[in-house]
Amino acid sequence: MTGYLVQRIGQAVAVLWAAFTVAFILLQMMPGDAVLIRFLGSDFGLSPEQIAQLRVVYGADAPVWQQYLATLGNALFGNFGFSVVSGTPVSQEILTNLPPTLRLAGISFAVAVLLALGTALLATLPRFHWLRDLFQALPGLMISVPVFWLAIVLIQIFSFKLGWVSVINPGPVERMILPIIAIAVPISAPLAQILIRNIDQVSTSGFVPVARAKGASRSFAILRHVIPNALLPTLTIAGVLFGELVAGAVVTETVFGLNGLGRLAERSVRFQDAAVLQAVVLIAAAGFVIVNLIVDLLYPILDPRLRAGRRLPA
Amino acid sequence: MSLKTLSLTRRTFGWIATSLLLSSTASIAFGQEAGTFGGTLTYLEQQPHTVLYPPAGGFYPNGGILNQITDKLTYQNPETLVIEPWIAESWEINDTYTEFTFHLRDGVTFSDGTPVDAAAVARNYDVYGLGDPTRRFPISEVLNNYQSSEVIDPLTVRFHFSAPSAGFLQGTSVIGSGLVSLATLDRAFDALGDATLIIGSGPFVVESQTTGTELVLKVREDYNWGPALHPHQGRAYLDEIRYIIVPEDGVRIGALLSGQADFVRQIQAYDEGQVTARGYQLYAPSTRGVNNQLTFRPDNDLVSDINVRRALTLATDRREIVDTLYSANYPLATSVIASTAQGYIDLSDQLEYNQEEAIALLEAAGWHLNANGRREKDGVVFELTAYESLPQPQNRAALQLISQQWDRIGITLNVLAGDAGTAVQDNLDPQRTGVGPAMVGRADPDVIKSQYYPRNRNALLQTGGVSDKVRNFHDDQLNGLLEAIAAETDPDQRLSLVADVQRYILDQSYTIPIFEEPQVFGGAPYVHGVGFEAVGRPSFYATYIQR
Repeated sequence: MTGYLVQRIGQAVAVLWAAFTVAFILLQMMPGDAVLIRFLGSDFGLSPEQIAQLRVVYGADAPVWQQYLATLGNALFGNFGFSVVSGTPVSQEILTNLPPTLRLAGISFAVAVLLALGTALLATLPRFHWLRDLFQALPGLMISVPVFWLAIVLIQIFSFKLGWVSVINPGPVERMILPIIAIAVPISAPLAQILIRNIDQVSTSGFVPVARAKGASRSFAILRHVIPNALLPTLTIAGVLFGELVAGAVVTETVFGLNGLGRLAERSVRFQDAAVLQAVVLIAAAGFVIVNLIVDLLYPILDPRLRAGRRLPA
Repeated sequence: MSLKTLSLTRRTFGWIATSLLLSSTASIAFGQEAGTFGGTLTYLEQQPHTVLYPPAGGFYPNGGILNQITDKLTYQNPETLVIEPWIAESWEINDTYTEFTFHLRDGVTFSDGTPVDAAAVARNYDVYGLGDPTRRFPISEVLNNYQSSEVIDPLTVRFHFSAPSAGFLQGTSVIGSGLVSLATLDRAFDALGDATLIIGSGPFVVESQTTGTELVLKVREDYNWGPALHPHQGRAYLDEIRYIIVPEDGVRIGALLSGQADFVRQIQAYDEGQVTARGYQLYAPSTRGVNNQLTFRPDNDLVSDINVRRALTLATDRREIVDTLYSANYPLATSVIASTAQGYIDLSDQLEYNQEEAIALLEAAGWHLNANGRREKDGVVFELTAYESLPQPQNRAALQLISQQWDRIGITLNVLAGDAGTAVQDNLDPQRTGVGPAMVGRADPDVIKSQYYPRNRNALLQTGGVSDKVRNFHDDQLNGLLEAIAAETDPDQRLSLVADVQRYILDQSYTIPIFEEPQVFGGAPYVHGVGFEAVGRPSFYATYIQR
């Protein structure tokens, strides 16, 4: 197990370095740079000499390889430089914006799983067969709801019309309600679909009738035997869902005016704030690496068939 | 009920009594309704502020904050545009406009307790006028020919200029000349991203900020040095101003109308009806500068011919643009600068719409329709590109409408959004962008120089500016006139030079002015006393909430 872990961590470091390097190269290839955008695009009205001077000061004119080594070296020590847009250290920007996004994404994911489980369980009841039919007939129902539109509709109805929650200056709990719904609904849909399909498949496996024959109630059989087995394949799409979560965060944070990594990324892209983007890319890559690692480590725990020392390809 | 609460209540009671006394005396003194002290104003902003270094105050979100936290040497009356005393009680200017001496008010302090004295003011102007390469402070665009400062005594400061600088007195009143404490100027430009480090002497003080989402200002209780002739004196009415960044237009307006916010910036013309229909107040102060316009870059061969530029101006139905996309708050431009700007002259006869004449001019210039219905000359098809300007209201829609209008005479105008980097770079290259949107606000005759002079904003892309992509276009006659505006010391002569520049620019068809750009805000009915400085940035010094 330790050897496996070391190998996985080595892979993770390689992935992070690759992400860092690719991001650096792409940012270098883009026309213009943050110094130009900031001082030429804003209301400074500087002279050519002043712009040239600023470029030297910001190191925007050093050879690319020098800039790369300096950026990489500093990043290893946790120093990501300054945001050209806000004038604050990048590390501070990340510390301010990462926790709220993690909170939002984490809770939304949990809510999405609960929503999906609830929907799937309901769909297994004979009375709610229409629900299952609905989900199977309309695979794109909730998936195709744009987060952006959903967020605006939620605000218009629950905040402006009904006044149940405030969007401006909300309390710590209040501020989370609508964004969580806006992210969780589109994510819960594919989860519910997969669950329903898996529950159907597992229910027809031999061990369920055996369990029933041994005297287990229907609900016990479903909870104890069907659900754990049905959950397994949903883990595989956890990585994909993580991407959805990140994308959802960008949109909801902007619409609801929350601070977070999504909005920071959006702003930095707009102003080509390379230092911030490097850090954001690293964090996103780390997120994917960690999620996939967790999934791989959970598999053997949830599925006894995988504990025979056979490794899944990473 | 502890002793502490009791003393608090007594203090509060004492404060209410004092404020009642104050407001009654104020109303006697000025013969006007006095405001109510206290309360929080929730202000919704569209974009986050950047570094609050005063010379960067031209950016709307920055100006809206800087205006509340810094004072200036002088105050420009927004109605009369006259320069009045503020931190400077009086001043003298020598005959050649190369020496300005200011006598400062006694007892003014920055919020960190340090005095606003001659030494501090001198240091401020040295940084704004000369820049500070070691700390990366850029030069302020409103200070021309600044040479040095001289501290005569603790309350007297003199500034020296290498050439006559008639615009300097007005330059001491703008947001970009807000005074900050030495502690602020001792930091590097990059370290000032935290707004709490911007220490001014204004009626409000930055209490906290969450980068990119929120900023809170607290009133300064001991503030007692507002502009000398301002109807309100003493501390500001409000206790607190809360700036919250809400990028979504619909959310800002919905929040205002549902009572979750009190004041919002940037209401698009198509949303104005929603606000006024509910009895809410729209504010649309003019930015009093160079109008919102589409500027030619004559270095580009397609528009180097004056007759072609003239044709494109004639082919632009400006009235249709204003009527279709904007509202009564966006007056049709009648010159290069706004009708509220200093030195304005009406040149609307130069800006008429006439499609037939446009076609005739193009034909005469050798641009004939090809098989595809596009204008072509010597195998070159007439096709221009412009990037939308994000800060300008509905700029993309306006450019697209111009594109449709030019399409009728066989001219293609591509409107690109582009990422910021590409837009900035291409906008420096006249071959890539033959036209570009432009505007700038400042209530001084110098504003027109700021816009067109190569070493400032260089809207026409002449040689000698930031761009190294310009091959050879420059207009010495225009630049001579612009330099003369900055140096001319006789006020009437300056204004007549501004008139000459407007005439010259339109005679040359260098630009197509579209509308006079306002700043549009919405306010709740219970918000009173909102002021705007000369170029449309809000001032909440005399603002109060009375439901």
